[in-house]
Amino acid sequence: MARDMEALYAQRLNRYVTAMRHGKPDRIPIRPFAAEFVARYAGFTCQEVTHDYEKAFEATRKCAADFDWDATVGNMVYVWTGLTQAIGLKYYAIPGIDIAPDTGFQYKEPAEDAAWMLPEEYDELIGDPTGYLFNVWLPRVSGDVRAPGEPNTFRNNLSFVKGGMAMMQYFSAFGRQNELLRKESGTVSAIAGILKAPMDILADKLRGYIGLVWDLVERPKKVREACEALMPHLTHVALSGADPSKNVPITIWMHRGCVPFVSMEHFETIYWPTLKPIIEEIWRHGHQVLFYAEGKWGPHLKAFAELPDASIIYHCDRDDIFEAHRILGDKFCLSGGVSNSLLAFGTSEQVRARCKEVIDGVARDGGYIMDASAIIQNDAKVENVKAMTEFTREYGVY
Amino acid sequence: MTEDEPVERKPGVCIPWQEKLKELPPITGDAQLAQKVWEDVDALGYVYIWQCLLSF
Repeated sequence: MARDMEALYAQRLNRYVTAMRHGKPDRIPIRPFAAEFVARYAGFTCQEVTHDYEKAFEATRKCAADFDWDATVGNMVYVWTGLTQAIGLKYYAIPGIDIAPDTGFQYKEPAEDAAWMLPEEYDELIGDPTGYLFNVWLPRVSGDVRAPGEPNTFRNNLSFVKGGMAMMQYFSAFGRQNELLRKESGTVSAIAGILKAPMDILADKLRGYIGLVWDLVERPKKVREACEALMPHLTHVALSGADPSKNVPITIWMHRGCVPFVSMEHFETIYWPTLKPIIEEIWRHGHQVLFYAEGKWGPHLKAFAELPDASIIYHCDRDDIFEAHRILGDKFCLSGGVSNSLLAFGTSEQVRARCKEVIDGVARDGGYIMDASAIIQNDAKVENVKAMTEFTREYGVY
Repeated sequence: MTEDEPVERKPGVCIPWQEKLKELPPITGDAQLAQKVWEDVDALGYVYIWQCLLSF
């Protein structure tokens, strides 16, 4: 008998939202952030899903339908390299072109003396972040874009036309993808909108990690001022991409703002004071933020507990999820806790045992979403992802 | 406005309407419509550069 996809979607949305609001749904929602895993499952290479987003969409829908997930991301292999080529971005290694066809795309960290932003450019960034990005940063990260004052080129002009139209095409395609997920398998699109911490984006795309840590020692006041200058823009971008119905969260991809990448002093004086107000402002607008806490953030859990009840969902990567639950579990929904190495190298029996341990330890009162610790790439075994899904569906009933 | 002049660019804005207005003849029609369309399309440029930074 054909399933009523609209009823299924409504049931899943309610399950997912109830858990995220720290409530107890009918059962634990299953929301894998499946990236290159979808290629492996659907028979595509990493090059195919990274360079041809329609193949990534197709593979994601196949996984959502076959595994019967409650929610997932329309395309977790998010960086469409057709777009990055159109803009001429230098910092990506593209599968099948720069790296092997079945290796996931890579971000190339700049050398210390070749950062995308120079240390003496802080004042320019602080004075006019948008102008700096267009006039200085983009010409530096693109092989095609020319800075104001440089001789113009055909490829400079073309990069803006191709880049702008490609971005519009890609974002529009996500709307269609989300509709297809809903109609074909009743699957909820798990997130909407993007946020990064000001200090993280300084390291990721401007100064590089090495450049940032030098700056934290040599010019910490400038780093703080730059983070403050970025705050209103990052807040604006996050809110402008948020779910209008305020169901699914904005996601913050948390990278290297934690100990030991930075000192506790720098976390307390720069990272957190320039991120916390953004989260509070987003919450005032009625949106939750999914803290996708890549790596280990254990030393900072007490700081996160300062945030308003239910304002975030805390995703555990390499943290001890039981410790995270002890500190944050009274206030926030948690997700994750099933390690990617287990999914890649463990047995299905070990995966089921770990899922039981996590569910027994953190999910008894609701407020938990099943997921791997980090985005699932093509090293995960299909049978292990299946075991995580099926065990949770059977054992995670309240 | 020249490219070298300092300008305060608020979130969501590349070229503020007040700057653009200086280049235009007196608006005889619907000034609010002119402003809205300018700002809506200008915001696409803002989306472009900030999404390049954050997402790509």
